[in-house]
Amino acid sequence: MLNYIWLALIIIGVMVAVWGDWNDISTNRYHNGEAYETVLQLSNTPILPLRQSQVYQCTVVYSEELGIMQRAELTPGAGNSGSLHIFMDDNTPPLWREIFKAQKNNDFLFAHVKWESISDQKFPTRMTFDPIRFVKLNNVTNEGIIKYAKIAVELAIGLIGIMALWLGIMKIAEQAGLVAKLAGVLKPITTRLFPDVPADHPAMGAMIMNISANMLGLANAATPLGLKAMEELNKLNKKLGTATDAMCTFLVINTSNVQLIPATVIAIRASAGSSNPTDILGPVIVATTVNTIVGIITVKLLAKLSVFRRQLTTEV
Amino acid sequence: METFVNIISTISILAIPALILFIVIYGAIKKVKIYEAFVEGAKEGFNVGVRIIPYLVAMLVAIGIFRAGGAMELLARIIYPITNLIGMPAEALPMAIMRPLSGSGALGVMSEIIKTHGADSLIGRMVSVMMGSGETTFYVLAVYFGSISITKTRQAVPAGIVADVVGIVMSVWLVNLIWG
Repeated sequence: MLNYIWLALIIIGVMVAVWGDWNDISTNRYHNGEAYETVLQLSNTPILPLRQSQVYQCTVVYSEELGIMQRAELTPGAGNSGSLHIFMDDNTPPLWREIFKAQKNNDFLFAHVKWESISDQKFPTRMTFDPIRFVKLNNVTNEGIIKYAKIAVELAIGLIGIMALWLGIMKIAEQAGLVAKLAGVLKPITTRLFPDVPADHPAMGAMIMNISANMLGLANAATPLGLKAMEELNKLNKKLGTATDAMCTFLVINTSNVQLIPATVIAIRASAGSSNPTDILGPVIVATTVNTIVGIITVKLLAKLSVFRRQLTTEV
Repeated sequence: METFVNIISTISILAIPALILFIVIYGAIKKVKIYEAFVEGAKEGFNVGVRIIPYLVAMLVAIGIFRAGGAMELLARIIYPITNLIGMPAEALPMAIMRPLSGSGALGVMSEIIKTHGADSLIGRMVSVMMGSGETTFYVLAVYFGSISITKTRQAVPAGIVADVVGIVMSVWLVNLIWG
């Protein structure tokens, strides 16, 4: 199943990007190659002719009625041409903003300008942008593939310290007999949820601690404890590499979010000026309880299907 | 509600120091060599972190490709007629799609919607409930199964998706019921 979802995410992701770029090219969305008739107004009276490679402060006037007058820096080049660094403001046309985004310069929009002659502080120019192509595919490469490959490793590495801490603490608890004791407390519930795990197995203790940490919203403790539980469950696994029923049930409890207080959500609502940021709590708790229960029922029912049963026994 | 929040958040703050203190003291009383035991257990931390890297890279890159190319918007347009039937506004749909895929992405979508529509609007509340009741299913799948090198995930994925869908539908229904 994960195979198909993985394939679908990649294929759909790339196809949609190609389709979007094809659309942009065929409609010339970025007006590639078109020149804008603009007027450049230098901020100070210049000593003519303009010197090459010197930076002149100026304003690009594209449309006075619409108020499109952008502060910019002109760097004259060879002949009657130069390059412009345009600094955007609230009146910048939306298309220019998109071009700016695609250009990936930090704080300015880059353009080329050409003029016939300069006799005054103010002179007419023709402004062009470098052609913009394959914005979406570029995005897929940089924002999708490269960035996320990096994030994945950062997340995994970031987990090591906190993981080590909890695995250490759990080892103490295990040797002191605490984990087994904890497993005994909730025996009536846990043996029903995980019938194929012995009631006093360390996996039970770890799972109970993971679920408790999840309910309290302690993500930093919940993940290490959950991974510890998975490791313990794997000791009961007769077919390594294939998930057991208990693992699937435990996973569903974890993916259905049993957190009682969504602290981040409440904080965001409060900072956005909500009159009562916690009033969503009722529906949150009901929704999360229902989806956990439905998830558990579903995972138990699906476990009976022969498709999934067979994976436990046959060699694939 | 206010007291309930206060109680739970106090417990959350106290839980970790209290738990560590309790386990260490309990271990000492039971004559466990606590320092040695801790170090022995903690050794595994590095291996687990490294073991999940390939699974996490595979999962996050696929989700990254899906997000970056604009597939989310297209999918939202395609399934809009269905979600419209259960009373979900079009603006809340990206949130429903994003929630199981990316935690930071969903948080971004939620903040954006709350900024434009207001925290106390129907849509603002709806995305808040979706955020609070959902989970980053695919991240959890990758990390948990990855840590013990499991690739055949059997019924976990379909059941997880069913739970996600039920959570979203419940969020929409409850918010419409209370504030609609």
